[in-house]
Amino acid sequence: MSETSLAHNISAGIGEVLVSARGLEKSFGPIQVMRNVDFDMHAGDITVIIGKSGSGKSTLLRALAGLTDPDQGSIEFDGQSVFENGKRTAAWNKVNSHVGMIFQSYTLWPHMDVLNNLVLAPRKKLGLSASEAKDRAEKALAEVGMARHLRSKPIQLSGGERQRVAIARALMMQPKMLLCDEITSALDPPVAAEVLDVLRRLKEEEGIAIALVTHDMAFASKAADRLVFFHEGEIAVNTTPDEAFNRTENEELKKFVDAVRF
Amino acid sequence: MDYNFDWSVVTSNFPRLLEAMGMTIQITIIVIVLSMALAVPLALLRMSKIEVVRWAAQLYIEIFRCTPLLVQLFWIYYVLPPLTGITIPGMLSAIIALTANLTAFMAEAYRSGFQAVPEEQVEAGEMLRLNRWQQIRHIIIPQALRQQLPVIMSLNISIFKDTALVSTIAVADLMFTANKIASESYRALEVLSTAALMYFIIAFPASLVLSKIERNMLEGNKKGSTKKTLLRPKLAVAGKMGASS
Repeated sequence: MSETSLAHNISAGIGEVLVSARGLEKSFGPIQVMRNVDFDMHAGDITVIIGKSGSGKSTLLRALAGLTDPDQGSIEFDGQSVFENGKRTAAWNKVNSHVGMIFQSYTLWPHMDVLNNLVLAPRKKLGLSASEAKDRAEKALAEVGMARHLRSKPIQLSGGERQRVAIARALMMQPKMLLCDEITSALDPPVAAEVLDVLRRLKEEEGIAIALVTHDMAFASKAADRLVFFHEGEIAVNTTPDEAFNRTENEELKKFVDAVRF
Repeated sequence: MDYNFDWSVVTSNFPRLLEAMGMTIQITIIVIVLSMALAVPLALLRMSKIEVVRWAAQLYIEIFRCTPLLVQLFWIYYVLPPLTGITIPGMLSAIIALTANLTAFMAEAYRSGFQAVPEEQVEAGEMLRLNRWQQIRHIIIPQALRQQLPVIMSLNISIFKDTALVSTIAVADLMFTANKIASESYRALEVLSTAALMYFIIAFPASLVLSKIERNMLEGNKKGSTKKTLLRPKLAVAGKMGASS
């Protein structure tokens, strides 16, 4: 990793399991959105998650992020149990700052400029001084190709630029894992490609484990290490993109890929 | 109109009116500062996940929203002392009643602003491990205040005018003093018209500022929602110019 690397302290080596979820179940009222979900993420891998709306993709990401607690199951992060018996464990508070999440809607805080969006959490939670936080912000913005926009307001940025700044903001906390929930859905294809290219570089240069919910099959086939297909709350297929796109026997996956590919 | 104006009663009593105006402004400022601070916790209690807490906050708000301010003022000034055994001076009663009333309305404005902040913006803060108070302080409150600024300013202008009610419990504000001078001089028209003008001179600029803020926010919203809507009129004008030349 370079000196400017923002994601370090990964005890799991590249290719090793960083996150391991087993038997996750979640219901909202009578609707079961996750059924017995087993899911692994490896350091330095991109896992693309696909599936119809409401199939459980986002719920899995939110469960891994700690925003939604599963009803059942267990989650290990970097070898430590962070969720078991329906509850977060004490270890969760030690590792949770290494989990970053980026949302579909632009979640930059509109009343702050880009710099303040980036430095707020590191200053409050990591105790960085103003100059340390600014240095880190400049590096994070450079990583996503937004170095010129330190003092811009979110309203002055395009959708793609906002998402890249959102990625930079997540990088400020030096995450080991990035969860991306349909972050390119509202973007034009060329702009979406730029954002996804940033993720690919983060995986390659920083070794961050990335889980990405997307319908961009071109990106999935080129950059993903694993492809997970959700169907009715279950992981129906968990394989390589090549296998998924060219040799799958799963009829639902075939139908889904045909529907979104072109 | 067969009425002989005598403005000398106003000029001779103007220092008294000015002093009373100072009292009105003083009460207004104290009440606004207290209410704006107290409304934050009240709004948060109103949104509490604990049902009893939420209901209690709502009950408070509804009591003060659904009863006349004058009744609230009289209740605190005349009823509370026999109930508690503590005599509350008029000025303090006025501040308590007006603050309690404005806090209820302000809390609802805050709540509306808090709830208008997109949930994912708050979750983004949660994902950056900001604690609940940090989320409220740095993400929710600044946006809610900005969004609700016209409502908050409007409430503040109203409470400034409503301070006139404190004259009924012998607090020497502008209305009380004007009424007293009018009674002494039998020149109600001149004195009360002057008092009305003095209220207007304070409230009108605030109202103008409010209108300006609302216009700016409207333009800001347009700018934020779509750049095309700003471009289109210019293109249309350019098109017309091109056609006419």
